[in-house]
Amino acid sequence: MIRTKSALVASLVMTAALAFASPAYADGNVRCNAGSTEKWQKIDRLKKKVWMEGWELQKMQVEGDCYEVYARTEQGQAVEAFFHPVTLQKLVVFRRGQEIYRAPGFGG
Amino acid sequence: MAFVRPLFWLVLTVPAVGMLLGLARGSVLPMDLLHPSGEMSVRLMVLALLPGPLADFFGHGRFLRVWLSARRNLGVAAFAYALLHLAIYCIDMGLLAAIIDELALPAIWTGWVALLLMIPPAAISFDSAMRSLGRRWKRVQRFVYAAFALSLVHWLLLDWHWQPALIHLAPLIVAWLLRAMARRKRAFERTAR
Repeated sequence: MIRTKSALVASLVMTAALAFASPAYADGNVRCNAGSTEKWQKIDRLKKKVWMEGWELQKMQVEGDCYEVYARTEQGQAVEAFFHPVTLQKLVVFRRGQEIYRAPGFGG
Repeated sequence: MAFVRPLFWLVLTVPAVGMLLGLARGSVLPMDLLHPSGEMSVRLMVLALLPGPLADFFGHGRFLRVWLSARRNLGVAAFAYALLHLAIYCIDMGLLAAIIDELALPAIWTGWVALLLMIPPAAISFDSAMRSLGRRWKRVQRFVYAAFALSLVHWLLLDWHWQPALIHLAPLIVAWLLRAMARRKRAFERTAR
């Protein structure tokens, strides 16, 4: 009986933990509020921005309404950065799921 | 039936071959394979963990007997994909210093510990070890539960998408609840007698 109960409790706790583990700082759901894609700059323009950061570019893509960049910093850290497609402003940077930079005033 | 096991392993190898071919051809980056290889490992863990509790509830029918007999293979395959996941990670990171530098991040060490926990169960996944270890064999195999839980945490901390992790956990929760029900029923019948 004790085993049954602990199995039940464990499964419930795990479900609850997962349900409530939903993002405090979700990089999956960054919203740039970039508006219509007609006004977006070319994603290739980001290359210069990335170079100016001193990063080594690995990959660029559109993620939701943001430009997303995977890169390596000068220290070799793996970073995932979100840029505004219109202004090309660096909005938020994650390192292995942890937020390490957020542009002042950016709440997306 | 001698051909069944090699065939089974051949099927299990297909995704890995696809990943490595893509890498060799340069059509994918190592970082693109991190997610699929890790996910494959988790899926195989789920498949290895499911038949036990299901057999407790549904009884040992033919289907579940076959599944149970494949359980160890599924577990070893899960470990193999975890190793592939690690190899891809190492290729992607390139420098040992960079790997060590991010070792302390929660999203990273959870993955390492999950992999380490899979080593003992995988290392004793052959018949003679099973025979000589007896009851202790089962106890070591239970490390997989911890490895599975940590793998999900590792995934969650990297992605912050709880839905995929939950989808992989859901069938197991159902199976565990069914097992709990079966045990409760059996305990009840025993006391009623």
